[in-house]
Amino acid sequence: MCLLAVSAANAQVTVVKGFQKRLVAVNGFTGGATLTEVVRNDVRLSGYLGLSKDPAAAEFVQQGNVRSDGSVECFVTHVVTKKVFMSKAYPGSLNTRRLAHAISDDIVKAITGQRGVAQTRIAFILKRGRDKELAVMDYDGANPRQFSNDRLCAHPRWAPDGTRIVYTSYWQVFPDVLEVNLLTGHRRVIARFPGLNSGAEYSPDGLRMALTWSKDGNPELYTIGVDGSGLRRLTNTRGAESSPAWSPDGRQIAFVSDERGSPQVYVIGRDGGEPGRLTVSPSYNTEPSWSRPPAGSEMRPMIAVTSRVGGKFQIGIVETMATGQGVRPVVADEADNEDPSWSPNGRMLVFAKTRNWRSRLYLLDVVTGEQLELPAFGEGASEPAWGP
Amino acid sequence: MQSKVLTHTMILALVAALSLVGCKKKPFQPAGPTGPGPGTTTTPPPITTSDIGPVVTISGAGTRPDITSADLDKHQFMPVYFDYDSAKIKPGEMPKIKTVAEALKGNSKKLIIEGHCDERGTAEYNRALGERRAQAALAELGRLGIDASRLSTISFGKDRPVDATHDDTAWSRNRRCEFVTLDK
Repeated sequence: MCLLAVSAANAQVTVVKGFQKRLVAVNGFTGGATLTEVVRNDVRLSGYLGLSKDPAAAEFVQQGNVRSDGSVECFVTHVVTKKVFMSKAYPGSLNTRRLAHAISDDIVKAITGQRGVAQTRIAFILKRGRDKELAVMDYDGANPRQFSNDRLCAHPRWAPDGTRIVYTSYWQVFPDVLEVNLLTGHRRVIARFPGLNSGAEYSPDGLRMALTWSKDGNPELYTIGVDGSGLRRLTNTRGAESSPAWSPDGRQIAFVSDERGSPQVYVIGRDGGEPGRLTVSPSYNTEPSWSRPPAGSEMRPMIAVTSRVGGKFQIGIVETMATGQGVRPVVADEADNEDPSWSPNGRMLVFAKTRNWRSRLYLLDVVTGEQLELPAFGEGASEPAWGP
Repeated sequence: MQSKVLTHTMILALVAALSLVGCKKKPFQPAGPTGPGPGTTTTPPPITTSDIGPVVTISGAGTRPDITSADLDKHQFMPVYFDYDSAKIKPGEMPKIKTVAEALKGNSKKLIIEGHCDERGTAEYNRALGERRAQAALAELGRLGIDASRLSTISFGKDRPVDATHDDTAWSRNRRCEFVTLDK
């Protein structure tokens, strides 16, 4: 919002909303056009770094080349001190994009000490005519693959090891919870009770799932082992509970309830108990996503939500876990913004932005507030889930 | 020698044919770009269909009735409409539910109650709201003497609007329960 021009003494630093983005001039790789293009885009999408169009304004300069044997060298140097932050050789690879993403994450690590997102993937719901199917792509929108043929799918969530995705499928008319193994394509039914089976999310240790069932009455929250054992009911209200999201330590679960009128976010222990109300205003807060920054990260765990204000959906963040905290809007514009999901490093969100009733995916750097558009898919993409 | 070469060629052809059959990846070109947003130069990538397992292992918890979309017979009953963000059956809608109950009393058919929402809620919250609407209709049918074992609910949230336009009229038509009798 406020892009502050900084003094000439440290002209290399762009300050956005009071936070630093480290500017890098990516010269790329001699003899590696695709490598250069992908690394440039990774730096642009990294959150931590910015792509400097003007080399004179850059804090760091990247240089590299592709050797005759196909191996790749990459160097990152601080412009003012001439200190070499990175000097690394990579064996050649047939998968140029994968190699580029590995290099990009190394650049982020060398400059900031933080984990990048360039080697991650995003699951989402792909609209095809009247149908909605499960798809997975690289985080930058490349290599999209469709994983279902069920006509109506929703709410994908990743297993922590990145090999499986659980999602809601109307494959046999009723909404069931299915799990697909991304390596084999094999699918299995997690839950097919009468009524609603939806909203499943794996616990951080990957051993259990939280989800919504209506088998005992109105929609309530439950957990169950991924092997189907140890079913546990968490809530018992007159309202509808939905959208469970585990805390990073797996001890608590945030969820949505409309028991007291409009939908708001509550937090409950993993074994149940009395829920605490997390959000009060605005009058409509849904779709909680709880970030899990890795050990050593500069980021703290936060909960992102979709709020409704003035008939429009916007993305907000709750930064502390004290109940009754305000929701700080982070994406509030003329569009509808929904379905936030945290990057594994806890610095970025992926979300769906809908304009003229067509949805596409965006990234948000929550520190600088910068929105980054991902490639569009024909008829629309929604409900993204950022994977490991 | 001649036959050996021939056999070799045939094996190669067979391998080629089999690998063609085995390749399920169908390149799919999206229907067309949505029109580039600001700052976008990337063209939409083609989407490949992964090797989707035709068999789904049913290993999970719970059992529900097995039906296919071919079993569904719509348009027999009037939809019941709801107020915004409400799962309460309005008094004016009750006659429609009574009509459904009367029809069910004359036979042993099963009934599916679909719950639907307008597009102005988020996806999972709407899925829960749609289920509550279907359950509200189910409870009324129970009060009218229909055995619960004949009734099932499906919530489609906002995914199956009857009117795809975006105004008050469409929204009021989309906030509904539909009643679908099963022929079997």
